[in-house]
Amino acid sequence: MVAALLVAPLAPIVAGLALVVGDRSARAVSRHTAYIVSLVVTVLALLACVVIAVQRPVLDRQWVPEIGMRLHLAVDGISVPLLLMTAAVGVLVVLHARHEQPEGGTPATFFGCLLLVIGGGIASFLVQDAISFFVAFEVVLVPMWVLIGRFGDRRDARERSRAANTFVLYTVLGSTLMLVGILTMTFAAGTSDFAGLAAHRLPAGQQTAVALILLIGLGIKVPMWPLHSWLPRAHTVAPTAGSMLLAAVLLKMGTYGLVRLVIAPLPDGVQRLAPYVATLAVIGIIWGGLVCLVERSLKRLVAWSSVAHMGFVLLGLMSGTAIGLQAALYANIAHGVISALLFAVVGGLKHRWGSDDLDTVRRSLRDISPRLSLALVIGFAASMGLPGLAGFWGEVLAIFGAWSPGGDRPLGWFRVLAAVASVGAVLAAAYALRVLRIVWQGRAEGGAPPAAEPETDAHGNEWLVAGALSVAAIALGVVPVVLLHTTSDAVTHLMAVTGR
Amino acid sequence: MKLTYHWWLLAPVLIPAVGCVLLLVLDALLPRLGRSHWAIAAVLLLAGAAAAVPGVLPSADDPRDTLCLPHGGACLYSVDHVGAGLQLAALVSGAVIALLALPIRVPAERAAVQATLLLAATAGATGVVASRDLGSWLVMLELATLPAIALVALRARRAAVDGALALLTTALVSFAITAMGAALWFAATGSALLSGDAVLHAAQDPDSRRILVLAVVFILAGLGFKLSLVPFHAWTPEAFSGASVPIGGFLAVTSKIAALAALLVIFRGVTVLGTSALAAVGVLAAVSMTLGNVMALRERNALRFLAWSTVSQAGWVVLPLAAVSSRAVRSAAAYLMVYALATLVVFAVVTALAHADGRADATDLSSYGGLLRRRPLLAVTLALGLLTLMGLPPAVIGLVAKVAAIGPVAGGRMWILAVIAALNAMLGVAVYLRWLRILFGARKDPEHADALHPLHRILVIVGAAALAVTSIAPQWLLQFVGR
Repeated sequence: MVAALLVAPLAPIVAGLALVVGDRSARAVSRHTAYIVSLVVTVLALLACVVIAVQRPVLDRQWVPEIGMRLHLAVDGISVPLLLMTAAVGVLVVLHARHEQPEGGTPATFFGCLLLVIGGGIASFLVQDAISFFVAFEVVLVPMWVLIGRFGDRRDARERSRAANTFVLYTVLGSTLMLVGILTMTFAAGTSDFAGLAAHRLPAGQQTAVALILLIGLGIKVPMWPLHSWLPRAHTVAPTAGSMLLAAVLLKMGTYGLVRLVIAPLPDGVQRLAPYVATLAVIGIIWGGLVCLVERSLKRLVAWSSVAHMGFVLLGLMSGTAIGLQAALYANIAHGVISALLFAVVGGLKHRWGSDDLDTVRRSLRDISPRLSLALVIGFAASMGLPGLAGFWGEVLAIFGAWSPGGDRPLGWFRVLAAVASVGAVLAAAYALRVLRIVWQGRAEGGAPPAAEPETDAHGNEWLVAGALSVAAIALGVVPVVLLHTTSDAVTHLMAVTGR
Repeated sequence: MKLTYHWWLLAPVLIPAVGCVLLLVLDALLPRLGRSHWAIAAVLLLAGAAAAVPGVLPSADDPRDTLCLPHGGACLYSVDHVGAGLQLAALVSGAVIALLALPIRVPAERAAVQATLLLAATAGATGVVASRDLGSWLVMLELATLPAIALVALRARRAAVDGALALLTTALVSFAITAMGAALWFAATGSALLSGDAVLHAAQDPDSRRILVLAVVFILAGLGFKLSLVPFHAWTPEAFSGASVPIGGFLAVTSKIAALAALLVIFRGVTVLGTSALAAVGVLAAVSMTLGNVMALRERNALRFLAWSTVSQAGWVVLPLAAVSSRAVRSAAAYLMVYALATLVVFAVVTALAHADGRADATDLSSYGGLLRRRPLLAVTLALGLLTLMGLPPAVIGLVAKVAAIGPVAGGRMWILAVIAALNAMLGVAVYLRWLRILFGARKDPEHADALHPLHRILVIVGAAALAVTSIAPQWLLQFVGR
């Protein structure tokens, strides 16, 4: 079953390249062909990922000995959920792209870029080698740049190119800093294998320096406040499918990298930096929540809520407890599902309305499109952390972990942080209800009577995507045990290693 | 005194050197041969490259010596794996430049001279790799430089003469500084040989050690001119924009290989001096990367853009040398190989376009608008080359080069330098994205567009294939500089 390890990342990448290159030939690839190819490939990748998750095969070969890069593919409890989510969201994104294909370029280029991002995401969760992780990390950059810069919002060309460039430049800076950190550890440990890096301990002072560089580098990707400013911009402009991938796949690479490259091999450095990073995380939670209370653009609002949610993930990671780490991994997946759902719905609304300005007076969504409004309610309810939905467990457990931090972390300060973070959860409820009141219920008071809008509910692929993600959000909330059980062994192992 | 000769080992230097004499004789006998001189030069250079191949095979001795003094004395010509790789790169790049220049119309009597100069400069580049004594090192280095000046001037336009003059002035200054450094080296070590033993010996005595550090700084400054490291870079944009396009490629690739090879010959022994001498390299690297990128961000002329890109890439090439590491030399050579391949591909595209659309349309960055739809082959190849220079997938080879360059610096825990390098990786992406965005952007048709010359088309296809293949299997390129 080793073949599955190669099929999962390579099928989307090869097909994506073929679509992009084939588009340059004399006869352009038709929209239908591009869609069918993409769907077949992503379903194939998903099947391969399921096989990998069940069988857990391992592939370990020499690749580029000159820079110590090995082709080492395998999974463990930490990467399996992310891998499955990436592959599943990949299928949904392709389905959604059939429903809503933005202008700006040919369909084959659009689908090709989506496939390249999906393939890069799958690859980065499969590789067990730090330098290959960096390579996989970079694979998604150029296609995402094309998705934002060419297929983004048609209304403002300047803003489009600015958002695309900000995204690329921030991310390249982050990943090159990550490379510096990786190479330092690789040089000291003599191997770039994740397990080898985790087994080798640098002196405490160097751990702090490396951890600082890695936290800044990966913090850009996560994103961590105050390195987040690329995210709202990119999300606002990106096409719906691109936003879904950005939220569900790209941000997750950042947190996954933190677990593999910072938490596991550099416990002493993390120990020293944890109070500062946790503080920044909590500032991000509050900051994101406050912005969401006044933000007018619906898409930008969802992006800002991502900043807040990723703050909870960071807080859990920094707590230094098994429960906090579990919470972070859980919140990671939950955020991927919820924000993919919200972006699918909000992107659909923006498409229908022609803008996503919340100040425009509109009829209530529950009257016009019951299905979309149901998905919107589920999405925002999960986003505010309502019990029984996906968002709840990750945030509660993260606060719980921060309340009694592990190691020598300052107890009092972490308790303060936990308290402030729970205020952030209240803010989440406030902005979620604000959106629901304006969009779901409709503006009751003031203004001209809303113009009649055509009956446009979600059908076909759009309904399928929103429905599947809604079901996932509910399922994660009702039976969190499945996911927590998957990650628990790996987390226990990791805590045992770092606790040494 | 009696030296031992291995002609086969000397062949990569001798074939182009003897070739340029042959070419002159041929021109005297058959004056109407014209541009086919370029073809002969390319064949000779490829023959030289073939002679260099045995040196890069993993089974080859490391190093392979000849011109050895009797009684087990030092050898004056020594090629190790890295050196053989650099020789191969210099010869192949010279051959590609000759082929790129072949279709370009020049007065018949000038082609022979230009081809001869190209052969001579390439012979110098391959020779300096292997020279192990100060005398031949200096002579070979100048042999690699001086013909390049004439090559620039021979376009015989005002801009070309200006560029050549800038190059000539800096070449003379840099020769003076390098010669001074060589003299100090001789004073410190008491030997004209560039061997590690002499350096080690001199480094033990504090007085001679001080002179040796000064010598290294002088030599570094002199070579800085040739590598166009800031603050010795001023000639680069003038010369690039003045010269004909393939000659610009020669300055960017073959000349840089020669300069780095010369630096590596010195650097093999210098690590015993410790970090103080190497700090200078770190500063030069950081400043070059930053200034080159910042200037390229605003440049509108494609050739001047490439000149500034060369300045910043030169910083990346010498970056690993700032660290005391056994891998530093190989990392620098590996980065240089990737840079050389990518730059050669970019110059091939620019040359092909300049030949088909006219020089004015190929040197203005804005005239690349919509090239992706107008000439997809050129645009895709150019995009691959630019992606390699920025170090982003799908051009994995560029990414691997970045890893190689940062490796020794990060391994040596030189945080500041590493962070500056990371910032410049970002700036570099911003620089090359500008050009890339123009390729994707609105279409702009030139006034008259001819078909590509078939030779240019073949070279561009080969270049694109080389970048694609090395991106899948980077070790195929990197193994040329040893493992």
